[in-house]
Amino acid sequence: MQVLDKTQVEAISRALKEPGWLLEKRLKALEAFARLSYPSKKDEAWRYTDLSEAPLEQEVETPKGLSLSRDELPELVKRRLEKTDVSGFLVFVGPDLVYAEVPEELSAKGLVFTSLAEALKTHPGKVEATLFRGVYVEDKFAAENSAFFTHGAFLYVPAGLEVEKPLGVFKVLEGGKASAGRSLIFLEDNAKAAYIEEYLSLDLPPTLHLSATEMVLRPGARLRHAHVQTLGDGVWHFHRQRALLERDAALNDLVVNLGGRYARSEVASELLGPGAESEMLGLYFGHGLQHFDHYTLQHHVEHHTRSDLLYKGAVKDEARAVFSGLIKLERGAQKTDAYQANRNLILSPTARVDSIPQLEIGANDVRCTHGSTTAPVDEMQLFYLQSRGLSRSLAQELLVKAHLADVLNRIPLKALRAHLEAVIEEKVRI
Amino acid sequence: MNQLEIRDLWASIDGETILKGVNLVVPKGQVHALMGPNGAGKSTLGKILAGDPEYTVERGDILLDGESILDLSPDERARKGLFLAFQYPVEVPGVTIANFLRLALQAKLGREVGVAEFWTKVKKALEVLDWDESYLSRHLNEGFSGGEKKRNEILQLLVLEPAYAVLDETDSGLDIDALKVVARGVNAMRGPNFGALVITHYQRLLNYIVPDRVHVMMDGRIVAEGGPELALELEAKGYEWLRERVKEEA
Repeated sequence: MQVLDKTQVEAISRALKEPGWLLEKRLKALEAFARLSYPSKKDEAWRYTDLSEAPLEQEVETPKGLSLSRDELPELVKRRLEKTDVSGFLVFVGPDLVYAEVPEELSAKGLVFTSLAEALKTHPGKVEATLFRGVYVEDKFAAENSAFFTHGAFLYVPAGLEVEKPLGVFKVLEGGKASAGRSLIFLEDNAKAAYIEEYLSLDLPPTLHLSATEMVLRPGARLRHAHVQTLGDGVWHFHRQRALLERDAALNDLVVNLGGRYARSEVASELLGPGAESEMLGLYFGHGLQHFDHYTLQHHVEHHTRSDLLYKGAVKDEARAVFSGLIKLERGAQKTDAYQANRNLILSPTARVDSIPQLEIGANDVRCTHGSTTAPVDEMQLFYLQSRGLSRSLAQELLVKAHLADVLNRIPLKALRAHLEAVIEEKVRI
Repeated sequence: MNQLEIRDLWASIDGETILKGVNLVVPKGQVHALMGPNGAGKSTLGKILAGDPEYTVERGDILLDGESILDLSPDERARKGLFLAFQYPVEVPGVTIANFLRLALQAKLGREVGVAEFWTKVKKALEVLDWDESYLSRHLNEGFSGGEKKRNEILQLLVLEPAYAVLDETDSGLDIDALKVVARGVNAMRGPNFGALVITHYQRLLNYIVPDRVHVMMDGRIVAEGGPELALELEAKGYEWLRERVKEEA
């Protein structure tokens, strides 16, 4: 069995024909990975999480250079493609970019949407300027990703280009080996785009999945980003993302956890310039033994910035969810508007939610609110709906959808919203 | 056996017995009134008929067209044709009336209901109630006034067309105009295929929904029965008069 060591980092870098600076960065990340220990319940940010069954230190998959025709794509992806409205998309199967469709007219205008490996060849400067700026060696898993990632997607939108229709990345996990990938999104001044990353798989043997998303938004750039995982059982999904928002940049972010055995999302928005705005939406619905962790950071560094976070979720069976959100205001962050709300619906007495909203304020002329509610499903509502002939499960489905509606309604991507509603319906009936 | 029959029904909540041997029959095609003072157990009976899990039935039976429904869940009872208009309709934010009503109709009929078929039905019901179409896109009872909530119950009654309906104090808190609208809805349902039990504290509603029979409940059992004139007598003499009479008879 391979071990997570220097030989392997060098092998990955060589196989991907990477430049020297990247290998150096990977090796530095490896040092951090070796130095850091895996988190335990003694760590404040992991106190609700049991990693004893997680396939840590799993061997990392290696790129095979596979490529497919549209007809040969996995069924999971084909089914999604039938119901999506993305204008261009990349498909990864395991570590390989197997298929890509990018509208010519966008490429002609200077937009780059391809794999990280390809972008390193065609636009090395743009990658070097931004890669690892958002996620590098923040913790054991981030360091593991930075040292061992085998694939990634890269989106670059030149100054002033506004792309209305969303671009999508569909990644299918094959399972049995650890998979580490990244998304790097770089929008120049006043550029506009929408980017959806979706993670799909069948039920798998225990599989480690590491994803990292970095977003660099130059002044006035506007990005709508969605991270959607509907992975199969068996997957342990560790996601970390960080957006860097410069002056007047705006991010509309959505994180969706519906699948996997365990999923953790660490989501940060750094408001680095006056006028920057970040909307952060989260949606989760756990069943069976699923466990979802959400750690969010609204980091107001500069004055006159705004953030608005709404995470809503439901749990049934023995599922667990954790929300821990921090609004952090630096000393110079006057005239900040920051909102944070987390609302949970509990459908069974054996399901559990822990919600910890936090505020750290270093400025005085600000408006901040945060709140959290966790409540069981209302038996009176259930009885009322049932008294009109709706079965208990259909009544629950209505109540779960109603609970999640204000997040769903804030997603202007119609096809994505319909997809999420369908998955939620399915999960109620399981 | 086309009737709703309540047979020696005993029921409790939190260990307290509320119903103490209720016997009552509503034949299909008739509208009966159930009257009685506050705390007599009228609303409890309504909720138990609908299958409210808060209550425990200790003895007796409820038969719908000769078949016991006691072991059925609330939704199974509804699909068999029983409808309870709630005294306090529940607010369900995030669920529109249109969406909910269509799902309920589909559940009742056990098949898909097309948009056209659904709208034809709903529009007719809205006309009877003199209600605006815009209500359909509002969330179920959310922020509704007392009168709007009651009207919404009758809208559901008209669309779902149950075989038997129990109206639990649908008149409470209504002004005279709203009362007339509600009565119009119930009267529109009257016919050989519909039976109803109208629960009310006051005789007032019975001016507009004239019952075939009147039952009076006190302390968890039926103590008097009669024609519509019984309601008028109660209105004139009050429940105390009846209470005295019941005592004398005992």
